[in-house]
Amino acid sequence: MQYLALIYGEEGRWGSLSPEEREREMGEYIALSEADVTRGGSELDTVATATTVRVRGDETLVTDGPFVELKETLGGYYVFECDSFDEACTWAAKIPAARHGAIEVRPVYIDGGEES
Amino acid sequence: MKYAALLTNHADAVAAWEAMSPEEAAAARAEEVPQWEALFGELGPSGALGAGYELDSPKTARTVRVRDGETLVTDGPFADTKEQIGGLMELEAEDLDAAIAIAARIPVVFRASVELRPVVEH
Repeated sequence: MQYLALIYGEEGRWGSLSPEEREREMGEYIALSEADVTRGGSELDTVATATTVRVRGDETLVTDGPFVELKETLGGYYVFECDSFDEACTWAAKIPAARHGAIEVRPVYIDGGEES
Repeated sequence: MKYAALLTNHADAVAAWEAMSPEEAAAARAEEVPQWEALFGELGPSGALGAGYELDSPKTARTVRVRDGETLVTDGPFADTKEQIGGLMELEAEDLDAAIAIAARIPVVFRASVELRPVVEH
């Protein structure tokens, strides 16, 4: 079973960390990226770079910014392959942002084997 | 460039979906199948579409925080918003305009929205 871990935190925080703290957290992120349970994931560029697209009728509406403004923003995600939701939450708790922000864990929906 | 496309749903649509019988839900899904097939059929061979994840309902979400060494797990999504993330697709596009052109063909764009975020390449 796959779980998507959505990583929420305050964007400015990284800039306020000391080089040692950054190095330690980066090490934790790299270790998670290389963990056996990890199937994917990415770091996202800042929310200032977000573009939101809607199509209504024949018109494509493009707006700058995220689909919703939040104090803690989505900064990245991991995909974990785990036997249970509890196990996925254990992995989510290892993400450094869990200590200051929050990790939303969502089961990946499997539709009758249509997807790979 | 790599982009993450966040596929959203309206909370009302999610609620309506959850109130449906399995047959009704299957029929509602079937309506969008041709649009998805067109997307994958026409853009799949170009390599523009990377991994994709359709997520279970936001109400199945758990939110994990660690404070003072203690792991706190709560039921529900991180934020209770009008539009909620329902899926994520990884896209490969020349530039933002090309990514927008792809996003404008992802079926949820007609009823909710697609947020594009550039991926930081390490």
